[in-house]
Amino acid sequence: MSSALNLAHEPLTKIPSGKLAMWAFLASELMFFSGFFGAFIVLRSGNYDVFGAGSAMLDWKLATLNTFILIGSSLTMALSIYHLEKKNNNMFRLFIGLTTLGGFGFLIVKWIEYSAKFHHGLFPGQEHHTLFFSFYFLMTGFHAVHVIAGMIPMGYMFFRSFSKDGYPYPWKVETLGLYWHFVDLMWIFIFPALYLMIPYHAAVAGH
Amino acid sequence: MSDHANPIPSYMKVFYALLSLTVLTVVAAKLLEFPHSWGTPGDMLHVSIGVVIAVVKVLCVMYIFMHLKFDSKLLRAFVAIPVALFIAMIFGLMFLEHFSYTH
Repeated sequence: MSSALNLAHEPLTKIPSGKLAMWAFLASELMFFSGFFGAFIVLRSGNYDVFGAGSAMLDWKLATLNTFILIGSSLTMALSIYHLEKKNNNMFRLFIGLTTLGGFGFLIVKWIEYSAKFHHGLFPGQEHHTLFFSFYFLMTGFHAVHVIAGMIPMGYMFFRSFSKDGYPYPWKVETLGLYWHFVDLMWIFIFPALYLMIPYHAAVAGH
Repeated sequence: MSDHANPIPSYMKVFYALLSLTVLTVVAAKLLEFPHSWGTPGDMLHVSIGVVIAVVKVLCVMYIFMHLKFDSKLLRAFVAIPVALFIAMIFGLMFLEHFSYTH
């Protein structure tokens, strides 16, 4: 093999290529979410009552539960990487399995929340829809798609860990871990923005 | 990765910090639901507390869970630039919008 095609050499940056690529991808994802947050802040300011009333109709208790679930799954993700690097495949399987379960738990709670909103006619096109609910479904829906996308390779790694030699690629789990923590990070911003910033008069009207 | 000590205690610390900060942000938001409307210092305080707590949580996750503490300065700089711009955008827009509706 000619040296020009030798892909095994250490990169000039000393940063593993996969890791650098994931960070670059996450930076582009951050731009995606920046568009949502930027539009949300500007329109919230101009439509304060609509956003306050919408926010007061959301179930902040379910959202708090989901925050706890995602934080827990971030912890189990970090622990699964640690155990795979120590070549402890059984512990890796336990923690990657728990992380995947956390993803499922999050989606189930999300579905309960969504069903209530559909039932109350708040989805775009239904009779009680407002500008706030466009943002609600756009931001939480886009976030939920990210949760699903992360669970696919996670489930694959879980099942691969049952093979004879266990799951062999710790760096792939580490790269997926960066993505999974990013999904948690975006929820950390979405949660107060949508669920908690309720003006008093809207909070009273919503109950 | 093998040259640093057992990371589990710091993972647990971040985990407990994230749980506590979540409780704090909910309690702060619920306590601050005093009568106010847009353009009052009360709402700005309300929103700022939520955003500041979120930023602290995000930095905890990035530094420990995402291993930036153990990464090179080059990677940290690579990450810091978009994140700083994002946070600057959030605060910048919040305050600009706040003043544009204050008469």
